[in-house]
Amino acid sequence: MAVKDNNDIADQPCRRCKNNPSVLVVRTEPLCRECFVRYVNTKIIKRMESFRVRHAAPGQQRKILLPLSFGVSSLVLLHVLDFQLKTQSEKSGRTGFSLCVVYIDASTVDSSAPDAAMLQHVQERYPHDYATVPLQTLFELLPLDDPLLISLCAPDLPSTATSSDRISSLLSSLTSSTARADVLPMLRTRLLVEEAKQRGCEGILWGDSTTKLAEKTLSETAKGRGYSLPWHIADGESPLGIPFHYPNRDVLKKELVAYIDLADPPLSSLVHGPSAASTTTSMSSKTTTIDELMKNYFESVEENFPSIVANVVRTAGKLQVKETRRTAAQCNLCNMPVTDGRFGIHGWGGDQEDGLQSAGPSSGLCYGCSRTIPNGLR
Amino acid sequence: MPPKAPTLCAICKTNRALILRPKDHSKLCKPCFITVFETEIHHTITSNSLFHRGEKIAIGASGGKDSTVLASVLKTLNERYDYGLELVLLSIDEGIKGYRDDSLETVKRNAKQYDMPLTILGYEELYGWTMDQVVEQVGKKGNCTYCGVFRRQALDRGAARLGVRHVVTGHNADDVAETVLMNLLRGDLPRLSRSTSIVTSTPAAASGDLKSHTNIKRSKPLKYAYEKEIVLYAHHKNLDYFSTECIYSPEAFRGSARALIKNLERVRPSAILDVVRSGEDMAKLVPGNDDDRSCGGACSSNVPAAEEEEGGCGSANGRTAGGEMAHMERHLAQNEAAAENELEVEITIPKPKKAGNKKPKANGMAPQKPNKQQVLGQCKICGYISSQEVCKACVLLEGLNKSQPKNRIEVVYDEKENQVLDGATNGMAKAALGPG
Repeated sequence: MAVKDNNDIADQPCRRCKNNPSVLVVRTEPLCRECFVRYVNTKIIKRMESFRVRHAAPGQQRKILLPLSFGVSSLVLLHVLDFQLKTQSEKSGRTGFSLCVVYIDASTVDSSAPDAAMLQHVQERYPHDYATVPLQTLFELLPLDDPLLISLCAPDLPSTATSSDRISSLLSSLTSSTARADVLPMLRTRLLVEEAKQRGCEGILWGDSTTKLAEKTLSETAKGRGYSLPWHIADGESPLGIPFHYPNRDVLKKELVAYIDLADPPLSSLVHGPSAASTTTSMSSKTTTIDELMKNYFESVEENFPSIVANVVRTAGKLQVKETRRTAAQCNLCNMPVTDGRFGIHGWGGDQEDGLQSAGPSSGLCYGCSRTIPNGLR
Repeated sequence: MPPKAPTLCAICKTNRALILRPKDHSKLCKPCFITVFETEIHHTITSNSLFHRGEKIAIGASGGKDSTVLASVLKTLNERYDYGLELVLLSIDEGIKGYRDDSLETVKRNAKQYDMPLTILGYEELYGWTMDQVVEQVGKKGNCTYCGVFRRQALDRGAARLGVRHVVTGHNADDVAETVLMNLLRGDLPRLSRSTSIVTSTPAAASGDLKSHTNIKRSKPLKYAYEKEIVLYAHHKNLDYFSTECIYSPEAFRGSARALIKNLERVRPSAILDVVRSGEDMAKLVPGNDDDRSCGGACSSNVPAAEEEEGGCGSANGRTAGGEMAHMERHLAQNEAAAENELEVEITIPKPKKAGNKKPKANGMAPQKPNKQQVLGQCKICGYISSQEVCKACVLLEGLNKSQPKNRIEVVYDEKENQVLDGATNGMAKAALGPG
C-alpha cells in the first residue's frame, strides 16, 4: 500500500521527529511508525472535540454508538477511540463518553458477511459494551406504522413469514447488484439508528474515511440522489433523528489501511475480508455496482491526488439545505428529505413521458430509490 | 441479429426490433427509434419553451455528430411542428489543421444539405491567433483553456454579426453529466450549477453601453439526449458528419469524468440521466442560488448567467488542460499544509450564507440572481462581458502576445501582427499589443 511507495522521499528519516527511519510517505511527508500512528490518532481525536471529558456532566455517561463491520475503517476508529478513552481516564479519572459497539449481522442475506464469532477477539482487546444484531431485527424494531415496514409487507408473503423471510424477499426482488448494494447499507443504517435510540445513545460514529465520503458523494450523484448530498457527508443532525459523526473524515482510506499494520500490536488479525490492497473488480463485469465503481475510482485518485479527494468532500459539504426545506417529506426507503414532492422518476425535464404516473408520488420513493426499486416497494 | 425468433418493436409491435435503445435498453425498430428520438427533443424544446415563433437561431456547428444531428433534428422539427424558426449555421474555425479544416468541409456540405446559410468565423480573424499557433507557443498542455475561452466569445461575436440573439449548441446528456462530475472533482460549485441549466445567457453588461455581443441566449436542446443515441440517429439517418476527435486532447478532470460516465452507463444505463438530474438538484443547493428552480433552470425568468470561460471544449471530445489534476493537487496540498501549520485560517470553507431565506416564493418562478458574489461588468479592453476588469480572452491574448519571441519575428510573424491589429479593430486585444 502506501508503505515506501516513493523511494526518493522514503529513504529520508522521519520528517516529524527527525530521528527514526521513515516507514511510509504520508501526503509527501516521510514518517516513522510512531509519528504516523500519532498523525492518524490526532486527526481522528480532533474530530471528537465535543466528546471531551470537560463536556461531560459528572455522573452522567454520554453514550455513542459505534457500528463495527470488521472492516479497516471501523476497526481503526474503535482502536483510536479506545486509546482516547484510556488517555481520558488516565488523565482525569473519568471519560467524556462511552461506546456501544454494534455489529449488524447480515449473514441471512449476505454470504460473505463476517462470522459473528470474530466479535470475541475484538471484545477481548477493547473492553466496551458490545452487541450483535441480526439485520432482519429491523422489521421487529420499527414502529408498526413505519412506511418502510408497511411497504415491505409483501402481499405474497404469508402473515407467518419471519423477519428473515421478509428481508430475503426484499433483497431477492432487486434485479441488479447495484440495487442490492444500494439497499443493504440503507437497511443497516436504519437498524443502527433504531439500536442507537433503544440503547440511549446520543449519536452514531461512522467510520467513513475521506475517501469513502468522496465515493459516497459521486455514487449518490450517479444514483440520482444529488438532492440529498448535504445529508450524506455532514457531521450533525441527520434526517433519521439522531446525530451522525464521521471522526475518520480527515483520514484517507489508504492511511487507515496502513494503520492496520503499523498499529501496535497490528489490527490485521481482527479485519474481515480483503483488507489491504483494493479488490479491483473488473469494470465490464455485470456484477459491478456503482458503489464499487466509485470505490475503485477514488482508490486510484487517492494514490496521486489525495487533496483532490478531500476537496470533493469539502465541495459537497458546501451544498446546503435551506432551513425551510428541512421539514420536507422523507423518502420511504432512504429517508432523505425530498423537497417539492419530487418523488419518483417522472415530472422533470429529463423525463420524456408526459403525464406518465407509475411509481410516482404514491410510492413515496425519491428519484434515486425509484431507480433502485423501479416497481416501487410492494 | 442472430436468427432467433424475431423480437418485435416495443412501440409499433409490428416491425422487427433492430435497435437496442441505449437509454433504457428497450428494443425498437428503426422508424420508431427515429421518431421517438425526435419526439423527445421536441418535448425538451416545448416543455422548456426554448424558442419562440419568428426567432432566428444560430446552430453552433462543428461538423461533429452532435451539432450535425442538432441541425438535422431542428430542421425536421421546425417543419413538422411549424416552429416558425429561421435556422442558420455558425461555425468557428479554431485553426487546427487536419481537424478543423476537414470538419468545416463537412459543415459546408451540411449547409447545402439542410439549406441553411453558413457563417464561418476564425480565431485568426478574431484574435490574431490560430489554435495551431497557440499550441506552438504554449505547448499541448493547457491549450484547451485558450480554445474554450476563445470559442465562447467567438460564438457570441459571430451571433451578433448575424443579428442572432440565440445560439443553440450540441451539448448532450453525456456532456452535461460529465460536467457535473468534473465540477465536483475540481470543486467548482458555481460552474456545476450553471452547467446543468438548459438555457444560459451572456447577460447585458451592468453599464448602459450595450455592446451587440452581450445578451446572447444559449441553449442545449440535446441536453437530455444520450450520446450513443445521437450516434445511432446520425447513422440511421445517414447524416454526413465528421468523426475525428480534436488532435489536441490531453487527459485531465474532464477525461477522468468522461471515463467514469462511460463506466456508469455500462453498469446502469439510466445513470447518465440520473447524474443530470442530480446536477439539477444540486444546483439548487449551491449557496447563493435561490432554490426555487423547480423548472431545472429552464424558465425564462430564471436564466443563469454564462460566464466567459464556461464551456471548455464545445466538442464532446474536449479535454481541459493536461496536468490540471496534478496542478490542483499541489495547490490544495499547499493550502492544507498551511492550514495544518495554522499559518492561516481555513478560508476554503467560507461560512455558508443563509441567503434568500425569507424571500416570498412566487409559485416557484421567483426571478433569481445566480452567483451573487460576482458582479458582471465589461472587459475594459474588448468590452466583452466579464466578472474581472479584463476578460479571460484578453488576459490569455496578452500572455500570448507578450511571450512571442522577438528574435523570431519574420515575415510570417509580421503577417500575424497585422492580423492582431485586425483583431484590435474588432475591439479585441488592443492592450495585448503593448511592448513585449
